[in-house]
Parts: sequence; structure tokens; C-alpha cells
Amino acid sequence: MAKKMLEVHELTTKYITRQGEDVYSVDHVSLDIEEGKSLGIAGESGCGKSTLALSLMGYYFPPLHYTSGEIIIDGKNISGMDPDVVRKTVLGSEVAYIPQAAMNALNPTRKVGKFIEDVIEAHELPMDKKQIREMAEQRFAKLGLPVEALDKYSVELSGGMRQRVVIAISTILSPKVLIADEPSSALDVTSQKMVIKMMKDMLANGMVKSMIFITHELPLLYNVTDDIMVMYAGQIVERGTAHEMVFDPIHPYSRGLMRSILVPEEGTRDVKLTAIPGTPPNLKHPPAGCRFADRCRYATPACKVQQPPLFDIGGGRTYRCSFSVDQLKEVYAHEDE
Amino acid sequence: MTKGMKKYFKKKIFWFIITFIAAVILNFILPRLMPGDPVNSIVGKNISPGATQEQVQEQIAYYKHQFGLDKDIFGQFWDFVKNAFNGTFGVSYSQYPRLVSDIIGSSIWWTVALQLPAIIVGWLLGNLLGAMAAYKRSVYDKVLMPVTLFFSAIPAFGAAVILLVLFAVTLGWAPVNGAFDPGMIPSFSWKFISSVIAHYQLPFWSIVLISIGGQAVGMRSMSIYELNADYVKYARFLGIKDKKIVRYVFRNAMLPQVTGLAMSIGSMVGGALVAETIFSYPGLGMSMYAAINSSDYPVISACTLIITIMVLIASFLLDIIYAFIDPRVKAAQFD
Amino acid sequence: MKHTLRNVFHSPRFLVGFIIFMSILLTVLIYPWFVHRDPLQGLGKGFLEPGTYVSVYDTNNAGTYRVELPEANENRLESTIPVKDRQTMLDFLKAKGVDVSALDTSNEKFHELIEVWKENYDEADAKKNKYEGFATQAKRNELRRLNNRLSEDTSAAMSVTKGEGDSATTTAVAGSDYVKVDEVANSINLPLGTDNFGRDTLTELVKATGISLLVGLIAGSIATVLGLLVGLLAGYVGGLLDDILMFIANIFTVIPGFVLLILIYSALGAESRGIVTCAVIIGITSWVWTARSVRSQVISLRNRDHVNLSKLSGHSLFRIVTTDILPYIASYVVMAFILQVSSGILAEAQLSMLGLGPNPNELPTLGLMMNWAKLFGAYTSSNAWWAYFPVILMIALISFSLNLMNTGLDQVFNPTLRD
Repeated sequence: MAKKMLEVHELTTKYITRQGEDVYSVDHVSLDIEEGKSLGIAGESGCGKSTLALSLMGYYFPPLHYTSGEIIIDGKNISGMDPDVVRKTVLGSEVAYIPQAAMNALNPTRKVGKFIEDVIEAHELPMDKKQIREMAEQRFAKLGLPVEALDKYSVELSGGMRQRVVIAISTILSPKVLIADEPSSALDVTSQKMVIKMMKDMLANGMVKSMIFITHELPLLYNVTDDIMVMYAGQIVERGTAHEMVFDPIHPYSRGLMRSILVPEEGTRDVKLTAIPGTPPNLKHPPAGCRFADRCRYATPACKVQQPPLFDIGGGRTYRCSFSVDQLKEVYAHEDE
Repeated sequence: MTKGMKKYFKKKIFWFIITFIAAVILNFILPRLMPGDPVNSIVGKNISPGATQEQVQEQIAYYKHQFGLDKDIFGQFWDFVKNAFNGTFGVSYSQYPRLVSDIIGSSIWWTVALQLPAIIVGWLLGNLLGAMAAYKRSVYDKVLMPVTLFFSAIPAFGAAVILLVLFAVTLGWAPVNGAFDPGMIPSFSWKFISSVIAHYQLPFWSIVLISIGGQAVGMRSMSIYELNADYVKYARFLGIKDKKIVRYVFRNAMLPQVTGLAMSIGSMVGGALVAETIFSYPGLGMSMYAAINSSDYPVISACTLIITIMVLIASFLLDIIYAFIDPRVKAAQFD
Repeated sequence: MKHTLRNVFHSPRFLVGFIIFMSILLTVLIYPWFVHRDPLQGLGKGFLEPGTYVSVYDTNNAGTYRVELPEANENRLESTIPVKDRQTMLDFLKAKGVDVSALDTSNEKFHELIEVWKENYDEADAKKNKYEGFATQAKRNELRRLNNRLSEDTSAAMSVTKGEGDSATTTAVAGSDYVKVDEVANSINLPLGTDNFGRDTLTELVKATGISLLVGLIAGSIATVLGLLVGLLAGYVGGLLDDILMFIANIFTVIPGFVLLILIYSALGAESRGIVTCAVIIGITSWVWTARSVRSQVISLRNRDHVNLSKLSGHSLFRIVTTDILPYIASYVVMAFILQVSSGILAEAQLSMLGLGPNPNELPTLGLMMNWAKLFGAYTSSNAWWAYFPVILMIALISFSLNLMNTGLDQVFNPTLRD
């Protein structure tokens, strides 16, 4: 069995609002990724996938707070470590992050090369400026990025180039886990392809040991990641291989999500999924029963009272629903006729 | 120099020239709209009581000719422009036949020497305070914010008066007025220089105080905006120390403040001129004050023209500097 | 709308600012009901320190109480009619043949002497009879002058013993007694003293605050309305109109507004600078910032869906502007207005400090008060803090309250600054 790069056990984090209310946006999430593998996380906006990305870093700043659970990176438990130690020894070097709005992720008044210097200095590695420069140049060349970009400000780079530079900076220390939050959603199709290819290459040649890819564009995940996990209202509702998830979803929410994507329509991306009416529940006051029950066409009165656990059906496949797999399959088959 | 850069400079210079011309025209026209004839009042002051009607008329004609008021409006404008460019600014009404340039020739240097350093120091201190206020928000918002808001509400001349009364009149730490001891003759002696320095303190610090307030408030909002920027979050997740990130933020917040200074320099100078009159500092503010009280329009208009030009040049230079030091503007303007 | 207002009033900063501002406004409005003094009326000579002042000269109309200050009376009699003159009076009476054996020149007998003098002296009689020792014209003139002084001054000097009908009580007060200030006739309370003209500073300050607020409101309204109109036109109509308006705005931006004001004000001359004129001029020189910001906001609104929908529905320009654009920039306009009021008050004050204020003979303003304090050496030679410090404080309080309201509004409408 391959080595686990990332193991997360029952991770719970919350936002504290200005009114002092607790909002649990990541609710007892467990997951793991093996070396060389990638995991896609899908869900509507507001279902907690971006918060999960932030929470997995193991470093929290207000309004996000850690509540419970463990994050283990390559066998090292980083939960409960001193935040300053996490910053110095984990962030950037063990687990790296590519933000949602990578367009504005770079300090506009610092040249790319200088910023890379700052990143490396922050980890107190035994390198002088010349060595850092050489390393950055090698890495850029290896990733097919122009070396001149190191002497430019971010505003002087094109959108696609800026995104790829951000990815290069994030992975400059060859992290064990790379968390990418919608790294390509703001780009044009050509740049998107380049970004995806770059990330796949990095995983293939070991520049990153494992990868989490968050997006709402499922076809993208199918081509990029090995596994896919679907989140809803701060919880995992289903996980399986990319193929299983796209062609054989179990959970009604996954199914709705896949269907809405398989029949793409102009404008659905930003508005809401056509196949699932309604919006995710407000997590300030989460429903007592199944969190999806209010929008689920198969929900019974029992669903609204009893929260289903996450069932493991083997082969890495899990799902969260009160119905059995067979029951659901039967309903789906009936429906498809 | 790139094409975009050239275009940017061309645009800036175009606006500089246009506003310059507008300023000259306004300075010419507005004083000429005033009621009453300045010549009559000068003649009234200078002529002997027993003069005949012809003598009075003769005098009036003489002065009209001296001031060039017998020419048509275009001739007068031409004279005005000529005088402005050769630096004499014509003849003073109240101190005839002194040249206006003679009256304000020395005061302009006192003003420059006072206001330029004071505004720069005020800008730096204001930015520092604003940045601190943004960084230590919880302390600042609860305790310092209302206090600062109150102090920044004190008008420029009010702050000057309070400083004057407190430090010069009550405590006697600084001289009450002037730029040096009235008994001294300007020279390069240590005694004279130390007198100048002693007289410099209160006007200087009151102008610094004036400049701090607005800059601090601007810097605070700018810093808060920058602290919430995406690059801050990203840099944090790369493990960069907070200290370093704070440096990014304040540099990025401070650069636009250069433009802030360019925009507010006009109103700062206005407040500073009033502060000058309170300390009887022999700068342009004082010259203007004296000219206003004796209805000496050539001096008033020369003062306003010089101030306008200085402000124009200052904001023009600041705009150019800003465009060079901030890559964001460089990218936006020069492309 | 209701919701927004509630939010605004829930902001502690706005609330505090609003309360301070309203208190100032109410004071300005209510004060004249209680104090009827003319703010420009001179009461004394020059700067008087704050305190309660008693008229040293007359105690007329003192109501039921009369205060007798024996020493003061003595001094007063002594000073008005010295012993030498009393002797002259006695000499004259003697010459006329009046029995003066009971009289002398002492203060105790002086009242009697005056009574007797009044009974006997008559100018025509003195001229006709040429009494011994008083035969010359010069001597007679001296007598006449003495008599005149007596008839002027004795009324004051005598009134201390003059009762008012039967109900009058005459209370003798010893030099060591205390008297309640309210009971002293013709006393005046000057909590802030008087200014260089001897005007009651408090009354003047209240009036000046009112006038300065008026100046600020007029200037602020004009600047905001002009700025709004120009901004809306330039932003919504665009094209050539936009170019022309922004060209003008650009010129106004670079030429310091204060310099422009100095030029216009000095061109006007002091007599034609009424309060309203001053305010209007401040207003029309400070619309530029409002116009620029309104314009940029309108441009960003111009192509929003709801505006386009309105355009397609064939709504008039007026209707689109009032229903689809104005509501979106209303909060900004209110904030700009508040700042314009504050800077209008400040502009007036600064101009007045340079001697370019409104006509000083009509009404006081805060700036004029500062200017007078400066001209008459209140900071330095007279050290009359009451003549300028309350004025500075008032200006600071007004801008403080307006700034507070503004930051309060800013926090409500721009949430990035909020948390």
C-alpha cells in the first residue's frame, strides 16, 4: 500500500461571525490521499469546499477557527502544533496553497524573483540570494515559464502567465500536499488547459507529492484527478474514483450535481444548478436531519429528523444517505426510463 | 521610454499647461472685477489738500499710466503676462513705486523653507500613524479613534493659536512672532541662525499638525483595504512572516498616498498660509495678509499666482514620481 | 429606507456625532429666547474676564432691595464733589445770607448741604444779585458748572437713600456683608467675558455659531447640488458634455480652491461680502470633488441591467436618473454633503482670518471672531483666552460631530471598513 501523504480525521472548523455566532463550515471531515494521487472536491458555492481548503492548511486566522480533528501530513500530525512552527515548517514547504483569485495573489509592488526570495527566507533554509535565484530559474525553466518573469511585477504579466507563476511559487519548495482552490476558473480556455497540464506534470514528476483540486467544474475533475469527493453543507456526502463519481453517482446530490454539469447551460455556473432547486442551508442554523433533505426529491419525513452517517461500501467509496445503494439505484433506473 | 510612457507624460504636461494658463487668466480677471478704482484711493492718499481739480486729474492720469490702466484690457493682459514672466509682477498700489517682486521676493523663500519640510514631515508622520492605526485596529478603534477624530477636527489656525499661546506666551519656550529677532540683521552668524531656528519651531510644528490629520485618516483606510487584499492571505499561506507582510501592506498603501499628497497639497498650503499670519511669519501668507488689508491687488494676485504655480508644480512632480515608483500605475498608465 | 435609517442610527459614531451637532443647533436656536442681548452690542471697554459684573455707577431701578455700600458712596461723593467745591458751595450760601451754621464739608452733612443748595441756588438769581465774592462772570460760571455736576451726579449718589413709596425698604449694608449677586441691581453675568469691542462673548459666540452653520449649510448645499448635477450629467450623458464638464473640473481641481476664494473675495471688497454671498462663493468653488466622484459612480451604474431595462422601457432621462441612479449614490451624496458643510465652515473661518471675511459690521461669524481676537492681541498682549478658545472649540466640535456622522455613515455603507 502506498504511503499516505495526507490524512485528515474528523476535522471541524468554524467561523465566528461579528455577532459572535459559530458557523461550522467544515463539519467532521475525514479524508486521505496517497502519494502521487490527486483528489477533486466538488460542490456548489457555499457548501464549504473553499473553507475546507483553508482548514487543511493547519494555520488559522480570524474569522476562521480550529475546533477539533487531526491533520497528518506524511505521518506528522500538525494539529495542535504551535502556529509559528506551523508557519515556518509546514506552510509552503509541506502543504502549499493556490488561491481562488490567483490574479491578485501576488504583491503588486514586489518583483516575482524578490517574492520567491521572501518565501524561501521565511523558511530559514540555508541558501543565499544567488542560490535562491538559481533554484528559481531552474524551476521556471523546468515548468516552461520564461525566466524573465522573475524580474517582472505581477501587473506586467498576462492573466494566464500570472496564474502559472503563482503555481510555480506555491510549489517552489516541492510540497507534499498541494491545495488548489479553483486555480483555473477565471482563465480563458487556452490558459486553463496550460494550467491543468502544468499541475498534472508537477504531480507526475514529483514536484508535488499529492494534490487536492477544488472546483465546481466537474468535467475538469474527471480529466485531472484520481478521486472525487462531493461536499454539501460542510460535510462529505460521497467519495469515489473519478470514473465512478461521474458515471455512477450514489448520493442524490452528487447525481444532481453530475446531471446539471453533463447538460451544461450558459450561465448555470454562477447562478445555481438547474437540476437541484433551492440553495444550501444556512450553516448558522443547520437542519437537524439530513442536510440535503430539504432539496432532495426522494426525502422521506424520517430524513428530516435523522442525520445519516457516512457509509463505507468498500473500495474507497463512501456516501451519506439513509437509503441503501440498491434502493437508490432502483429509483434512478426507474427515473431514467 | 516606452510609447505608453510618452503618452502619459504628454497628457500630464498638457494638463499642466492648460491649468497654468487658466490660473494666469483667473489671476488677471478676478482682481479687475473689484469695485472702486485703486488709482483714486492712491491719489486721495498722496495728494496735498489744496490741490486743484486739474492737478487731481493730472495725478490720476499719471498713476493710470504708471499702472498701465489707460490701456485696453488686452494691453493690460499683455502687460500682466509680461510682468509675470519677467518676474516683477508690476508695481504695488499701496507701496508705490515699489515693485511687487521686491515686496514678495524674500517672503517666498520663507514660505518655501517653512512649508515644504513641514508638509513632508507631516505626510510621513501621518502615514506612520495611519498605518499603526490600521494594524492595531482594536486598540485604535476603541480608544484612539475618537480622540484623533476630535484633534483632527481642530482647524489649522486653531492649532496654531493653541501652540502659540501654550508654548510662546504661557511657557515662553519659543518666540511669539517673526522669523528671527527683530533687532538682528540677517547674516551667517551662529546667533542669527539659532534665532531663526527658534522662531521656526512653532510655525513648523503647527503645519506638521495640520498635515498629519488628513494623511493619517487616508493611510488608515488604504492600509485596511490592503490588509484585506488577496496577496496578504496568499503570502501568509506561503509561510511568510507577518512582519514582512505588514511591510508589503504599508508600502502598497503608502504609494497611493503620494497621490493623496498631490491632491491635498493645495488645501494644506491654504491652512499653512493662515498659520503664517498667526505667527507673523514673514512668508507669502503674511505678505498676502498685509496686501489684503491695504487692498493692494497686484500683490494679492502675484501671491495667489505664485502659490498656484508652486502647487501646480508640486502636484505635477508628485504625479510623475508616483508613476515611476508604483508598478501598478506604471502598468496601468504606460500601456 | 427605514432599515437603512435604523442601521445608521445604530452606529454609535453617527449617533454621538448627531447628538453633538443637534445640541449645538438647538443651543443656537434656543439661546436667543433667554438672552435678548444684541450680539454686537458693546457692554464695556475691551476684554473683560469671564465673571459677574456689577455696574459701579447707578443703582436705579433696583426693585425691592437697595444696596448701600457706605464706603463706596463716600468714595463716590468724595470723587464727584471734592471738599474744595463743597467749601465754595458753603461760601456761596453764606454770601447769599443763608444760615449754614449746621452745615460743613463732611460727607455726613453733604446731603443736607445739597438740599440747602438746591433750595437756594438759582442761576438767574446769582447773575442778578452779584453776591459778594461771586460777582465776576468767571466765578458765576464756576457755580453754574458746580450746579450742573450736582444735578447730574447727586441723583445717583442720593438714590441710595431714596425710598420708593411706602413699600420701599432701605437696607443698610456694612462693608463686611455679603450680597447675593442676583440681588445687586444692574449686574450682568458674562460667562465668557467680553471681546475687544466689549461685546458679550457668549452671546456673540452663539450668534456666530448660527451664522457659521448657515454659511456651511448654504455652501455645502450649493456645492453638493452643483456637484451632483455636473456629475450626473457628465456621467450619464457622457460624450462631448462629459469632456467639457470634466475639462472645467480638472482646472478647478488643480488650482487650489483656497487661492481661488482669496482672489474672488478680495475682488468683491468688504462691503459687498454679505453672509449669503460668502457662502454662495464657497459653494460654487468646491463642487468639483463631489462632481468627480458622482460621475465615476454614475458611469459604473450606467450600464447595469436595471438601468438598461429602464432605458429599453422608454423611461425619460429624468425618471431613469431619479429612480435608477440616484438611490444608488444617495448615501455617498449625503456623506459628501456633510463633508462639504464642514469644509465650508472652515473655509469661511480661514478667509476671515486673512481679513477676507464677511462684512464685519453686519453679523459675527466664528472666523470673524477669530480674526478680531488676532487683530486685538487676544492671544498675546491681552491674554484673553475667552475671546478665542471657545471659538476654536466650537469650530472643532462642529467638524468633529460632522466627521463622526460621516465615519458612522461610512461604516454602515462601506462594510470593508467595518470589521
